[in-house]
Order: sequence, then structure tokens, then C-alpha cells
Amino acid sequence: MRRILQWRGHAYLALAARVYVGVIFLAACWHKIVEPGSFALDIATYQIMPLALVNAMAIVLPWVELAAGLMLVVGFRTRAAALLVAGMMTMFTVAIVIALHKGLDMSCGCFASQGAVDDPISWRTIVRDVGWFALALYVLGLDRRPIGIDRLWPRRGAAAPVFRNTSEERS
Amino acid sequence: MSGVAAPHPARAVARDALLVLLGSAVVGSAVNALRPSGIPFVQKTEYQILVPCPEGSGEAPGMAPNDPSLWEPRTLLVDARPASEHQRWHPQGARHLPFDYLEPAPKAEVERIASSGAARVVVFGDGGNPDTGEQLARELAGAGIRNVFFVQGGAEPLAAAAAARGGR
Repeated sequence: MRRILQWRGHAYLALAARVYVGVIFLAACWHKIVEPGSFALDIATYQIMPLALVNAMAIVLPWVELAAGLMLVVGFRTRAAALLVAGMMTMFTVAIVIALHKGLDMSCGCFASQGAVDDPISWRTIVRDVGWFALALYVLGLDRRPIGIDRLWPRRGAAAPVFRNTSEERS
Repeated sequence: MSGVAAPHPARAVARDALLVLLGSAVVGSAVNALRPSGIPFVQKTEYQILVPCPEGSGEAPGMAPNDPSLWEPRTLLVDARPASEHQRWHPQGARHLPFDYLEPAPKAEVERIASSGAARVVVFGDGGNPDTGEQLARELAGAGIRNVFFVQGGAEPLAAAAAARGGR
């Protein structure tokens, strides 16, 4: 297990995963930031959130996506960004499962607002989201020395405990 | 050992994520407050959402409200209107199954209609455009129920026809 965690290739695999997921989040947040009203309507269509929270979510969530996406791409506080992405993916997936269970024929509202005809939610949407969730988990769990700002300026304590040579520390 | 203990990595990750969350909330709220197209932080009125989910896929022909077969014993009348409208007036024996643009008709209700033994199922609704009666009739037909019709014009002309017949 320890050997798996210490494998140096994780940083490179995770870099690809980070850039992929990060760019997706950057692309996803754009229309939500530009048109918060449309995004609020997308959230309301799920019929899950209490009305009082719909707009607050529409206002805040795109900025979390923007921040997390940027952080993943540049490798700044990478694992925190991965934690946020994993949390958001969990939330989105649960929402889509509920919507599918209700039989709602709608767009997921993930990217630029599309109609239910062009981009309907389906079990494929869930598989896709679970895939992104898995990539975020991979970065969170195994990318202990992320390539990027975190590696250039590691924060004391938070980075790279796996690579520390404990025998050297003891001596 | 250094003087200041470093936070546990997992705790540091959680703390960073929380800070990003809070920062995003502040930035998002500030931008929303400053922009002309900002939305209220708390929505007071319901969003007008229309999800075309239970759109009927079946074919259901219309039936004139004064068609005599409407009142035959083996005709099952189904009221697609909301409960308040149904309570105000409905033909005797009519089953209430309100049409919902968001939710499909409950399976149990559809099965009950399918196993009712009726020769025909005639749905009446609000007579609007679109007519909830026609929508529900198409939904029921799409669910595999045969001989489903809808009353042209909805409940109002049906009530008039029933009154002309001496009520039912």
C-alpha cells in the first residue's frame, strides 16, 4: 500500500486528471457566472432545493467551480480543490439520480444552458459524473506532491508526508 | 522539532477547501450585488418551470361532449383537473387523476384504470390550450391503455351536456 502511495508516477497521471477536470470546471462555470438567472432556473428545475436557497446556490456555486478549476490546473492547494470537486460531483450526481427517478426530462444544466432535447439527463450523465468524481478522488488521495505551485512552494506540513524519509528524521 | 506544529495534512486540506468556499461566497455575492443583471439572494416567488416530462406518447382521439357513448355504463370517465375543480363538479362515477406537467401519472392509478374492465376511457380536463384532458389521455394511451379518448373542450361543455341530459 505504502509503495502504491509513494509511486512517483501519480504526480504525472494526476496532472493529466487535474488539467482535464479543471478545464471542464472552468468551461462549466462560465455560463453560470455570466447568466446567474438561467442557472438559478436550472437549479429550480431539479425541484430539490428549497426555493430560499436556489438563488444563493446559483450565485456562489459557479465561483467555487471557477476557483476549484483554476486551482486544479495550476496546482495550487491542489488537494483542497480536488476535495471541493469531489464534493460538487457528489452533489450533482445525487441531484441527477433524483431527477431521473422522478422521471424529469430535462437538461442537467452542467454547461451552457441547453434544452432537454439537446442534452437530456440520462444514466450516461451519471456515469460521466462518477468518472469525474473518481478522478477528483484520485488527485485527493494519491497526488501528494502535485506538479505546479504546490511543488514550487510547498506549504509546511500539508505537502509530501509520503516522501519523507522517516529513517533520516530519526537519526 | 520546530516550535510551531504544522497542521495535520487532512485538516489543512479541509481548511483550505472551506476557505475557498467562503471566499467564493464573498466574491460571488459581491459581483452579484454590483452587476446590473444580479439576482436577489433569496428568491421569493416560485420559478416558472415547465419540464415536458410526462408528455403523452400515445394517440387519443377527441370526443364531442354530447356524444352518447360518454354515458354508457362501460365508459370510465377520468377527471384530469385539479382537486378543487373536481370537488366543485364532476360526473357521477368519474375517477380523479389530476394531470401534472411535471410528474407522470402514478403507476398504481394507471394500472387501476387499465384493469377497470371499461370498454373505453374518456378523459376530460380544463379545456385549455393545451388541454390537460388531452394530455392525460395521450399519457394513458402511451402507457398501453386502449380506447382512450378525451372530451373536446374539457369539463365545461361536458357539464353543460350532462345538465342537458338531466345530470349524471
